[in-house]
Amino acid sequence: MDITYEHVTKQFGDVAALSDFSLHVADGEFMVMLGPSGCGKTTALRCLAGLERPSIGLIKIGQRVVNNLEPRDRDVSLVFQSYALYPHMSVRDNIMYPLRIRGMAKAERERQAQEVADRLEIGNLMDRRPRQLSGGQRQRVALARAIVRDPACFLMDEPLSNLDAKLRVHMRAELKHLQKSLGTTTLYVTHDQAEAMTMADRVAVLSNGVLLQVGTIDDIYRHPINVFVATFVGSPSMNLLPVSFEPASCQLVQAGLFAMDAAPLLPRFQIGAAPGDQYVLGVRPEDFAVSLESRPNSIPAEIYAIEPMGNEALVAVDAGDARLIARAAPTFQAPIGTHCWLTFEPSTVHLFESASQKRVEEK
Amino acid sequence: MSYRLRNILSSLAKYVALAVILVIVLFPIYWMVVTGFKNRLELTGTQPTWFPQIFTLDNYFKAFGGRAFPQYMVNSIIVVSTSTVLSLIAGSLAAYALARFPMSRGFRNNMSFWILSTRMVPPIVTIIPIYLLFVNLHWLNSYRALIIVYTGFALPFTTWMMRAFIQEVPVDLEEAALVDGDNRLTAFFRIVLPLTAPGMAATAVFSIVVLWNEFIFALILASTSKAITLPVGVSGLVSQYELLWGEMGAAGTVVILPILIFSLSVQRYLVRGLTVGAIK
Repeated sequence: MDITYEHVTKQFGDVAALSDFSLHVADGEFMVMLGPSGCGKTTALRCLAGLERPSIGLIKIGQRVVNNLEPRDRDVSLVFQSYALYPHMSVRDNIMYPLRIRGMAKAERERQAQEVADRLEIGNLMDRRPRQLSGGQRQRVALARAIVRDPACFLMDEPLSNLDAKLRVHMRAELKHLQKSLGTTTLYVTHDQAEAMTMADRVAVLSNGVLLQVGTIDDIYRHPINVFVATFVGSPSMNLLPVSFEPASCQLVQAGLFAMDAAPLLPRFQIGAAPGDQYVLGVRPEDFAVSLESRPNSIPAEIYAIEPMGNEALVAVDAGDARLIARAAPTFQAPIGTHCWLTFEPSTVHLFESASQKRVEEK
Repeated sequence: MSYRLRNILSSLAKYVALAVILVIVLFPIYWMVVTGFKNRLELTGTQPTWFPQIFTLDNYFKAFGGRAFPQYMVNSIIVVSTSTVLSLIAGSLAAYALARFPMSRGFRNNMSFWILSTRMVPPIVTIIPIYLLFVNLHWLNSYRALIIVYTGFALPFTTWMMRAFIQEVPVDLEEAALVDGDNRLTAFFRIVLPLTAPGMAATAVFSIVVLWNEFIFALILASTSKAITLPVGVSGLVSQYELLWGEMGAAGTVVILPILIFSLSVQRYLVRGLTVGAIK
């Protein structure tokens, strides 16, 4: 079933955890809400689950407005970051709990629990207590408990963040596969942009209680709506350089560092409207090329450090006051302090207005 | 001084200190117990004796045969157990509200403090209004008077203890239960209560110990064997005309025996109750 937030605001005292939040999640979609901690994503999820009431606005599951429904009447299941397994019950009882409350016959709920547990490969752990399980196994029990009810939608609140790095990567693929095979609408909250990128059909980026941008990860990666989204999505972050536009020479200039010909950008961006002609130039690390010889339209810099990653090398350089990161071939080597030049294709850059931090409109 | 020697000396010092404290604490109890087994002559003799020279059970026969001690014990058991159950029920629900319901921090703190502050008043201060209240209700010398007073007496204490135990249960668990299909009350009974059961046991023990030993309310509110509890019964052995040391020793021993056995059997929970919230 689809999920709709209509102008939802949630106040905690004087603080708006969520302001005028509108979002539609299509039936069967895997939607990830992404943002730093305290951005309101968990509040949005809890409002949907019924653990918080929105101060203003409507929340719908399917066609039904759920604002005034108790959590138990909303037909959603929630996976907690802490897993929230009932410590005094066996794995079997944990998984069966939602069925038991709903009054399903014992034989039937045991059969269903076993089926779901087998599917998640924890069928042999049914008689254990949660504390006898590893983190990954607990995670699976929590998932099984969510799945067993076959709810209208799954809500997940940072379910992978307590796992170690390797298991997290493994579970990402598994969760995505599971969601697709069940076809259940899923709203997933995380602060980890890698999780968002790898799992989501669409991503909603939040900051300070405000929804900034919704779209496919490709869309958000290529056309970030403002500086915040640009730097939050992608790892390492997008490089930012404050520049000013000089109409006379048609150049983007950072005084004392570099000047680049703005002509190739003019067909793409509406340059010239920003107050004081102040802009922020954004370049993704992979769009930089590091060259040890001087090039035109390039940024002069000094090598600060090189981090070999196996399949690539991250080159950190100092350019003026800024530290920039470029991706280079894994074989790239140069002593610290070497002079170098960063070049980039004008077609790959992002341009933001300095005052509003918003993306300069594209033609 | 070698490290080993210093180690031995320091633990020796600890054990000596412990022994001294134990003697101070346990000697009066020892004296009471042996007093119960001495005959009258020995008790009033000029030479105190460490052990009964002639071992006798007379005091026990007199206290429990001739007097109303069995009845006092029944009274004590009924009053204390009923009050404990009532204060646990009311206390856990109040504690749940204090621990979980949305309220401002100021209100929560003031409310909790107000509940606790009722224990800061010495019981003797409130005894006169309480006495007058029960006089007018014609409830003097009855179980219900003592049960009401004892429940109120234990309540601040059970509320605070249970609050600490309930706070230890992660909110996530309850929220998971709510989403899984519980309402607040069923989540309380299915999730919170089983997880706080050890805490409840500890709270019950504290309540029982405190109420079992309570003296002043029982003294004022009960006047005949219909409602007199054990502590008041024992004090009745000090009369205008005689001091029945032997019977007092015998009765005192019987008074502390149930509570001693009970406390030892739930010692594990008691320790847990004392340290709740201390470590995460």
